[in-house]
Amino acid sequence: MVPTTVSTALADRPVAGTVCLEAGAGTGNTTAGLLAAGADRVYALTDDPEHARLVADRFADAGDRLATVEADLRECPLADDSVELITAHALCNLLEPVALEAVAAELTRVAAPGAHLLVDDYAPPPEDAAVGRLFAVENAAASLATGRPALTFYPSSVLRAAFSAHGWTVDRELTLLDPVPWTASHIEAHAEAVRSAAASLSPTSREALLAELEGVLDDIEPESVGEMYGLAMRY
Amino acid sequence: MRTRPLGETGQESTVMTFGAIALNWLEQEGADQMVELVLDRGINHFDVAPTYGDAELKLAPKLGEYREEIFLGCKTQERDYDGAREKLEASLDRLEVDHIDLYQVHGLEYESELDEITREGGALAAFRDAKDEGLVDHIGLTSHGNPQLILDAIDRIDDLETLMFPMNPVVAGKEGPDHDYAAVLERASEEGIGTLGIKAFAKGPWPEDLSEDERPYANWYEPVDTPEETRERFDFALSQGLSSVINAGDPKLVAMALDAAERFEGEMDDPAQRSLIERLRHAESPVPEQLHH
Ligand SMILES: C[S@@+](CC[C@H](N)C(=O)[O-])C[C@H]1O[C@@H](n2cnc3c(N)ncnc32)[C@H](O)[C@@H]1O
Repeated sequence: MVPTTVSTALADRPVAGTVCLEAGAGTGNTTAGLLAAGADRVYALTDDPEHARLVADRFADAGDRLATVEADLRECPLADDSVELITAHALCNLLEPVALEAVAAELTRVAAPGAHLLVDDYAPPPEDAAVGRLFAVENAAASLATGRPALTFYPSSVLRAAFSAHGWTVDRELTLLDPVPWTASHIEAHAEAVRSAAASLSPTSREALLAELEGVLDDIEPESVGEMYGLAMRY
Repeated sequence: MRTRPLGETGQESTVMTFGAIALNWLEQEGADQMVELVLDRGINHFDVAPTYGDAELKLAPKLGEYREEIFLGCKTQERDYDGAREKLEASLDRLEVDHIDLYQVHGLEYESELDEITREGGALAAFRDAKDEGLVDHIGLTSHGNPQLILDAIDRIDDLETLMFPMNPVVAGKEGPDHDYAAVLERASEEGIGTLGIKAFAKGPWPEDLSEDERPYANWYEPVDTPEETRERFDFALSQGLSSVINAGDPKLVAMALDAAERFEGEMDDPAQRSLIERLRHAESPVPEQLHH
């Protein structure tokens, strides 16, 4: 299943016959879109071993058109100038500014001259969005557990600037979702992220965070707010 | 209420078509009131069928009063000449009218049925004769079935003027030829065929643990039943390019559909359509593992 966000972002890019990198593969939705659109080869890269396994299983019959790579994008194992199309679909919100800078440098290094880059991400949710409170708890839990926030929502202008600094030029920007539907299943997945970060903390911090989380969950309803944008760039 | 051309029939149909199956669950007095209500709100296209219980009979009194204001669609599930002719005459009788504006092949499901209706001695021959006699003005087809079958029907029935088929964000979000009603809409528009949307308000099948008499609505699927969702579904369906959208069958939901139709201002933009498709897809997904879209 290729979500409409992914198919829309890929629709005006020349995917067929290219070597692609899905930067931050997750469960492989963009990999699915790239394979369906005729990519020659897709490197589905993620730092999450479970995601890597999932993607490998999901596309077991893609043969050598797909290589699942478990690595950190801040030190990407691909060679210089080796990919013609890079997708970062819902990746950047997981990168705090320092990591974003390192990833932008690495993606630029592996991009062949003339390569395409797709950056799809969420604009910062509006001030009054209830999901904003959930994301704040998630960031508090992650910061305590790892020293880094879990989520950073960049306005598209910030991501444009981050990549422009490395020589990318923006081809187009479109709105993929407006509003963004945060469903019960998204809320539950983010709540689970809080619980799992909290699990590694001292009992006091853990209980405080879980109490905070319960408070948020009591008030929150699925809501459609904010925007997801799609940037397409050339190198 | 806004109108759109129903293909090349010359009819300008309101963006909502009244699905008169709703009358089946009302007493005659209530049925009369409902017809008055939908006419009051500007609806000019009605759709009925002999398989909708008493709907034809209950529509008849008010139809007699307002026949000129109503573009009347009816249909038959008969596939051969004699059966179709008989059913047409029965509908004319029950509806107490001398002609039906749009007569449709009802619920085409299999290729073999397409063979049956198109052959000599098939239902379409009866439709055409009725048209020559002035009993029927236009010929249409309805199907819940495979879009490929509908495309074949377009190819094989030269005088086809309207199509009725499902359209909603759940269907629109599914991939592959089995759900490609977008292709049907495109072909229909190329061919000047009018398009009527059904199941626009379908949420999904009824939960399996709910027995038929426990269902709150008399629909064969679970419908959306809030004003906001009804509006979203209406706007979405119409934004796919349909000529008109038919209300969910339960009479309790008709007023909500009328409100949605009346408030329709213009097509939903693409990001909002995708938002609805993705929301419903995630709502259906059993495992909450997705953090993103
Ligand atoms: C939200 S998912 C992306 C969704 C996916 N692109 C899709 O289209 O379905 C984010 C992915 O990026 C990975 N990720 C986050 N930071 C990373 C990093 N520094 N290096 C490599 N992968 C990273 C996560 O493990 C996860 O697999």
